[in-house]
Amino acid sequence: MPLLEVRNLVVRYGEIEALRGVSFSVEEGKVVTLLGANGAGKSTTLRAISGLTKPASGEIVFDGEPISGLGPETIVRRGISHVPEGRRVFPGLTVKENIMLGASNRRAPKAQLSREADAMFDLFPDIRKFSNALGWTLSGGQLQMVAVARGLMAKPKLLLLDEPSLGLAPVIVQAVFRIISEIRRSTTVLLVEQNARMGLSVADYGYVLETGRIVLGGKPDELWGNEAIRAAYLGGHAKVPA
Amino acid sequence: MDLVLQLLFTGIGIGAVYALVALGFVLIFRATNVVNFAQGEFSMVAAYLMVVFAVDLGWPYWLSFLIALAGMALLGMIFNLGVYYPLRHRSYLPVIIATIGASILLANSVLAIYGPQPQVLQGWFETPGIQLGPVYLDSQYLLIIAVTIALVIFNYWFFEHTLLGKKLQATSQDKEMASLLGISVSTMIMITFIYSAVLGGLAGILVAPILFVSIQMGSTIALKAFAATIIGGFGDVAGAIIGGLALGVIETFGAAYISVPYKDGFAFLVLVAFLIFRPQGIFGERVAEKA
Repeated sequence: MPLLEVRNLVVRYGEIEALRGVSFSVEEGKVVTLLGANGAGKSTTLRAISGLTKPASGEIVFDGEPISGLGPETIVRRGISHVPEGRRVFPGLTVKENIMLGASNRRAPKAQLSREADAMFDLFPDIRKFSNALGWTLSGGQLQMVAVARGLMAKPKLLLLDEPSLGLAPVIVQAVFRIISEIRRSTTVLLVEQNARMGLSVADYGYVLETGRIVLGGKPDELWGNEAIRAAYLGGHAKVPA
Repeated sequence: MDLVLQLLFTGIGIGAVYALVALGFVLIFRATNVVNFAQGEFSMVAAYLMVVFAVDLGWPYWLSFLIALAGMALLGMIFNLGVYYPLRHRSYLPVIIATIGASILLANSVLAIYGPQPQVLQGWFETPGIQLGPVYLDSQYLLIIAVTIALVIFNYWFFEHTLLGKKLQATSQDKEMASLLGISVSTMIMITFIYSAVLGGLAGILVAPILFVSIQMGSTIALKAFAATIIGGFGDVAGAIIGGLALGVIETFGAAYISVPYKDGFAFLVLVAFLIFRPQGIFGERVAEKA
């Protein structure tokens, strides 16, 4: 049984149908990536899974239990941690406070959270020296690391990562993806990416979303090997006619 | 010089009352992005609760004080559930109008029970005050200043050194993200309303022996406190406290050296000056928030 199963998910924003029956699954221990152009419905899918957006219809089953329609506070307690688009690091709290609050889904004394946050810096050594800096003073790459570290503090069974590479310099993107390949040893990951090359480089399986529908699913080399798919959805170059 | 010291003492005392109410304004504003126009009525209701328990029923002052504060906590809870919670997904305008409605309801309910005649509440202490060198320290003013100092310290400790304080801050900075982390946003807002109602109530109880207990006391205090938050920098906790104290001192000196009848005018003159020359207030824009 997959850890997460999404069936015929439909999400509407007023008149607009953002998702028109999306179905896919995520196996435990794997990294699955959702690829697609801007506006394809990738972020909406993650928002529906974590409870930020109520689906109009369809089912979301996590760990054998339906979670569709539950609130975000409940869903994160069930074991899904969502690192949303734009990082959303609290600007007026320090880096360490941000990371500690990532564990708000479980009961733990402050001293223990402080130790766990310190341990988290082993995975993210680049932000250790900003431990006491306020969120708003950090750069995009540092914010992304804080956001992922905060997401991991929930000790999730499933981590939802939305566009971790967005707006980052290539060398920082590399660092972020190195961390994702670290995380996958212990946590299942559902990764949304516009940067298909990076997404497929860490994933076990990929789905391509187009205007609210899944149009294709496959292993990374299958997706990457398909020239037409590459040209249309993955941002690769169309084959020059021979 | 003696007069200056005396006026400074009185000004800080009255300013501390404004600071407490201003703090309530700021905390609710930060948590809900809405100005609570019933904040002053919290002070008025608490003062009347003291009249009920300490004067009408003749209960001990300290007991009446505790019951009145517990009553304010309950009022904060009801206020949240009845005024803010049903409208929380709407824009700020319906919420603001609802707080104005609640303020009218509270004032008129008290008016219906007690009538327009102002009530008198004794101070906490039997001793009227002590002479310290050239300055006469009124016991009620001393109490106000002591309580305010204690609360400012408590407030700092609570928001900076407890996990709950950090969760409240997180909620005020980004509600959606807070909920994603498992922080119960509705509980955080409930706590904010309870705390703000108690702060407002405390200010009302402390100032009641200096003023009369009247229906209008709420709006008078609230206007000054609101001015204080703008002078301090809207939404800033330190700004609310400094703004409140500054306003108290300014109006006391204005009354002594310029004109007593225009005492209330000085506060608003300063407010207008700030709005023209430094609309972000003393502490405004200190922390630039990145999008």
